[in-house]
Amino acid sequence: MLLSGARVPLKEKMAIMLRDTRIATLTPIDWSGWQTPFLFFTGKGGVGKTTVASTVALRLAELGRRVLLVSTDPASNLDDVFKIPAGSTATPVPDVPGLFLMNIDPEAAAAAYRERVITPYYGVLPASSLQSMEEQLSGACTVEIAAFNEFTGLLADPLVVSRFEHIIFDTAPTGHTLRLLSLPKAWSGFIETNSHGASCLGPLAGLEAQHEQYAATVRTLGDAARTTIVLVSRPESSALQEAARAGGEFRALGITNQQLVLNGVFTASVGEDAIAQAMLARQLEALQTMPEALRATPTVAVPLVAHDLIGVAALRRLSQTAEQTSPAGDISVANDSFDASSLPGLDTLVRQLEADGQGVIMMMGKGGVGKTTLAAAIAVALAHAGHRVHLSTTDPAAHLGQALGAAIPAGLQVGRIDPAAETRRYSEEVLAAAGPLDEEERALLEEDLRSPCTEEIAVFRAFARTVQEAERDFVVLDTAPTGHTLLLLDAAQSYHREVERTMGDVPEPVRRLLPRLRDPRFTKILLVTLAESTPVQEAERLQADLRRAAIEPFGWVINASLLKSGTNNPTLVQRAQGEVAHVLRVKQKLAARNWLVPWYASIPTGEQALLAMTSR
Amino acid sequence: MLPMYTAKTATISVYDPAMCCSTGLCGPSVDPQLLQVARDLRRFEAEGIIVERFNLAQQPGSYAQNLKVAGLLQAFGDKALPVTLINGDIFVYGRYPSRDEVAAALAQRREQEPVAAQNADGGCDCGSGGCC
Repeated sequence: MLLSGARVPLKEKMAIMLRDTRIATLTPIDWSGWQTPFLFFTGKGGVGKTTVASTVALRLAELGRRVLLVSTDPASNLDDVFKIPAGSTATPVPDVPGLFLMNIDPEAAAAAYRERVITPYYGVLPASSLQSMEEQLSGACTVEIAAFNEFTGLLADPLVVSRFEHIIFDTAPTGHTLRLLSLPKAWSGFIETNSHGASCLGPLAGLEAQHEQYAATVRTLGDAARTTIVLVSRPESSALQEAARAGGEFRALGITNQQLVLNGVFTASVGEDAIAQAMLARQLEALQTMPEALRATPTVAVPLVAHDLIGVAALRRLSQTAEQTSPAGDISVANDSFDASSLPGLDTLVRQLEADGQGVIMMMGKGGVGKTTLAAAIAVALAHAGHRVHLSTTDPAAHLGQALGAAIPAGLQVGRIDPAAETRRYSEEVLAAAGPLDEEERALLEEDLRSPCTEEIAVFRAFARTVQEAERDFVVLDTAPTGHTLLLLDAAQSYHREVERTMGDVPEPVRRLLPRLRDPRFTKILLVTLAESTPVQEAERLQADLRRAAIEPFGWVINASLLKSGTNNPTLVQRAQGEVAHVLRVKQKLAARNWLVPWYASIPTGEQALLAMTSR
Repeated sequence: MLPMYTAKTATISVYDPAMCCSTGLCGPSVDPQLLQVARDLRRFEAEGIIVERFNLAQQPGSYAQNLKVAGLLQAFGDKALPVTLINGDIFVYGRYPSRDEVAAALAQRREQEPVAAQNADGGCDCGSGGCC
């Protein structure tokens, strides 16, 4: 792994240099050296899972193997990477014999599941009954379950498995992946212990027959000869911590064949450029303080490259780059036509947010674009301007504490929507509301509370409650990664429909949620992106989804811009030039308002550093 | 025609509206009435009565196959649900019966059993729930 005195010939290693001194070496990735038939890529959003998985798939196919690359991300960008529309069945990639793509779209899988259940009753049951069935089968938990069902179906299908030598899963952001993959155990247990047929299996009912399929999935994942879990991380501490956490959860599930890929390792030999030096120092510190659990995991590295990784040619170029120490020649370095300082910064944003005196401010965007830091910076600035501010996170990894440091400024309240705690709280509430119960009744209720829907409901109620607090104050929400955020909003809608016809005692915050989210004076949604193609495409999709729900985002924040950092390092300048087209597109085509935030040499942590982000 | 059942083999069949689960836990809040219904049905079950429960979202086939339930759905749409049958006869629809209503109907059936075939009111021997 990290070796200061390399035991292997240096030319086979990637060297990390600081002030022209070699301090660490890493083994470069062997793109085609993968043996197991199943590969699962996981990691924090934005670390480049799709890029790495796609390049591995491409190289294996070029070796003459038959490879299926599958995305289970609700916001999959496989299509963008390969520039072809991948369907829900194996779609061949033109020009790459043997490589096939497939998108498991959870929404589409849920729709197909609904079709299967409802279609036989057209003309048999009245339209109003069909409609109420459809409504019941439209919730977030049906989506989750349907996607999982597709996923296990694929692994259990001998026709698919025998057709391909490798099946590679470019999975969704970590939380989603873990849920998806840890479900077989939870559900096997759930189905076994459920003795009442008509109980809260919800959309799971009727899937019991596939119990064996779930069990087979668990065995496949745990079999080191068949499955490799590839933990993908950037050389940054939060991404490494996430990888360590994910690795630990897989080990706990008996899935031990793991491999760490460090993506975007900056290896340039640098002179005096402060930004490049800072980037190297930050990277080194992250690697040196890497969680203990990861050190035992075999590790390889992928170099940071200057170009966008879209299209087969770009992936091929990445797979041929062993070590990039000088910029590739095809991008012009001198381009003074774009003045980054012409775009407003966070100081302007805070003034605009302040204008209405209260309300909900929500960050949305692909994982890894810096939503947590931005939320903390905005909250601290508003608190300093004399407002009462609640800063809240639904991020399971809870990086908020890290961003704020030890001291919390006056006027600022920090909270977290913790799914486990919310589920406990909701369960207790339900049991209390049920009144006195005999032992058997209690057991029945508790069993229903173990269903997969309970957490979704509990988190949603907490979300609604947090939004309610913005009545008088500011609430700043650093939302969970994309897929989950969408599910939350989707839940907001389906619950809103449910609320209208339910007989239960619906909490006030739940009833008022959707109208609040649609009120531009009350809710301001900030789409956060980096000046790179994938995060911009992702934010564009989120914007379209929001508009479908009749919610108009307040504007776009382009974060961590090298253009605005003032770097002189050739590789970084080249990357900065690559940002221009994306920044212009956001400014001219996508955003009603936009703000540009520079890349910071050190991650802003603590009150003073966060305040500095929002001052001129 | 002689009734084929005795009090010991009485059957209560509840056809619920489409819902996630029979306790109503999966809605935005718990419906206390659904909890009560689940509790009542368990008590009848403990007394030796056969209880069947169906969920439109999960077992639509049972609704289509039962001619009485299907007929109510055709006539009144989704408003017909929930439907409660006692021994296959419509007892209450459009709402859940109370525990007392069901208990009274079961008691009445036990008394009237020998003369059920001669019932004068057109064969609808339902209880105080008022189905007909």
